[in-house]
Amino acid sequence: MIKIERLSKKFDDLVVLADITTEIKKGEVVSIIGPSGTGKSTLLRCLNLLEKPSGGAIYIDGVDILDKKTNVAKIRQKMNMVFQSFNLFSHLSVLENLTLGPIKLKKMDVLAAQAKAMELLRLVGLAEKAHSYPDELSGGQKQRVAIARCLAMEPEIILFDEPTSALDPTMVSEVLSVIRRLAREGLTMAIVTHEMDFARDVSNRVLYMDDGLIYEQGPPEQIFENPQKEKTKAFINRIRSYGCRVSSPDFDLYAMNAEIEAFCDKQILPKSSRDHLLLLVEELLQLYTPYLSTTTLDLTIAYSEKSERLEVVCESEGKELNPLVGDGLDDDLGLMIIRNLAESITHQWRDGKNRLEFLLK
Amino acid sequence: MDLQTRTEGDVIVVTIGGRLDAVTAPEYEQRIREMIDGGNSRFVVDFEQLDYISSAGLRGLLLMAKLLNAKGGRVCFANIQGNVQSVFDMSGFNTLFKMENSVAEALAALA
Repeated sequence: MIKIERLSKKFDDLVVLADITTEIKKGEVVSIIGPSGTGKSTLLRCLNLLEKPSGGAIYIDGVDILDKKTNVAKIRQKMNMVFQSFNLFSHLSVLENLTLGPIKLKKMDVLAAQAKAMELLRLVGLAEKAHSYPDELSGGQKQRVAIARCLAMEPEIILFDEPTSALDPTMVSEVLSVIRRLAREGLTMAIVTHEMDFARDVSNRVLYMDDGLIYEQGPPEQIFENPQKEKTKAFINRIRSYGCRVSSPDFDLYAMNAEIEAFCDKQILPKSSRDHLLLLVEELLQLYTPYLSTTTLDLTIAYSEKSERLEVVCESEGKELNPLVGDGLDDDLGLMIIRNLAESITHQWRDGKNRLEFLLK
Repeated sequence: MDLQTRTEGDVIVVTIGGRLDAVTAPEYEQRIREMIDGGNSRFVVDFEQLDYISSAGLRGLLLMAKLLNAKGGRVCFANIQGNVQSVFDMSGFNTLFKMENSVAEALAALA
C-alpha cells in the first residue's frame, strides 16, 4: 500500500532522514518508536507531503507521489493525518469541523455529510458534543474529534503523529482506546508514539528509528521482548549509562568515583547500590591495573530503569584478557568481593575484543 | 582517610574515618608500621567513622595483623558496621579477627 524507497530529508545541512526503506501493507498497523529528534514525525510528514523529501521515492498503491504529474490532492484524500496539537478549526463547531472536508473536497451532500459526521462522533463517544466548539472540549475530547474528522474523509491510511503527547495523562487512555478500535476494524495506520505499551498492543509491526534510519524493525514481540540491536535494547529497557576510558595504571580513582556518584544520584539509586557499585569498580580497576600500561579499558555502567538492574561492562582490545582468572594475584580478596557483589559474570573474547560483564545483585 | 590515635594504658586506640581504599591504604599501612616498629604491640582499631573499605583496605588490616603476630602483639576491632561490615562478611574477615561492639569492649578483650 505504501512503499518507501531510500527516502531522505535534509533541512539545510541537517540530515533528519538518512535512508529509509520500508513498506506498509494494507490493514497493517505500524508503530514508529525511537528517541526524540530521530526523524519519526518527519517521516510521516514526508508521506503526507507536508515536507518535501530530499531524495528517494514514495509509492501509494503503486503511484509515485513525488512525481510532478501526480495529483497530490487526490493522494491526500487516501491518506489523512492526526496531529499531536489537534489542529481543529476553533471558529467551527465540532460537527462543522467534521463536515467541512467532505462537503468542500469530496462534494458530499450536506445532510449526508452531517449524518456521517454524527455516526463518527458516536464512534469516538462524542455525539453529544456535536454543537460544541473546540475550546469547550478537553484535550482528550479534541483529539477524538480530530480522529473523527480524519475518518470523515474516509481515508485508506491514517497517519498518527504522537496523538497523545499533548494530552494530560488522564486523557491518554480515551484517545488510545479509539485508535485501538480503529486498528481492530482493519484500518491501515502508521503511528508515531512514545506510548510503548500501546505500541506493543496495537501494532503488527514496530519500526525503531534512530539517527534518521530504521535501525531495527520487527513484530512487537521481537522489538519489546527481545530486541536484537544495542540501541534498541537501550531504548526499550530505558538504559542510562555512564562510560569512561582508563588508559594508565595511574588513573584518578576519586575523580571516577565522583562521576559514578553523580550518575547514581541522577538515577536516584539507593545508597547500598551506589556503595556496591563503587566497590565493584574499585576492585575491578585493581585487577586491571597490572595490564593498564599496555591495554586501554573502557568501563561502562548501565542502569535499566525498566528492570532496575545495574550492569558493569569492561571492554579491552587485544589478546584474550580476563583479569578474574589471572594467576598473578597476590590474594583473592578482590575476587571474593567481586563474586559477592555480582549476580552473574560473563567473559567473551571475540574479534580481538574482550568483554567482561557483571550484573549487580 | 582520617586516622587518629590515643593511648589507653598500653593499648593504642586507632580511630579511622572516611575511606580505606586503594588510595589511602598505603598511608594506613605506613602509619601502622611506624607504630609497631616504635614498640607498640597492642591495638584497638575503631571503625565507627569508616564509611568505605575495599580489598586494598583489608590488605592493610591483614598486614597489621601479620606485623603484630611477628612481635607477639594483638589487635581487636571495634564498631564494625554498615558497608564495612558487609565487606567483612563478603571476604570472610569477620572470622579472621577479634571484633567487639565498642572500644570499651575491645579494650576489655585485650586486657
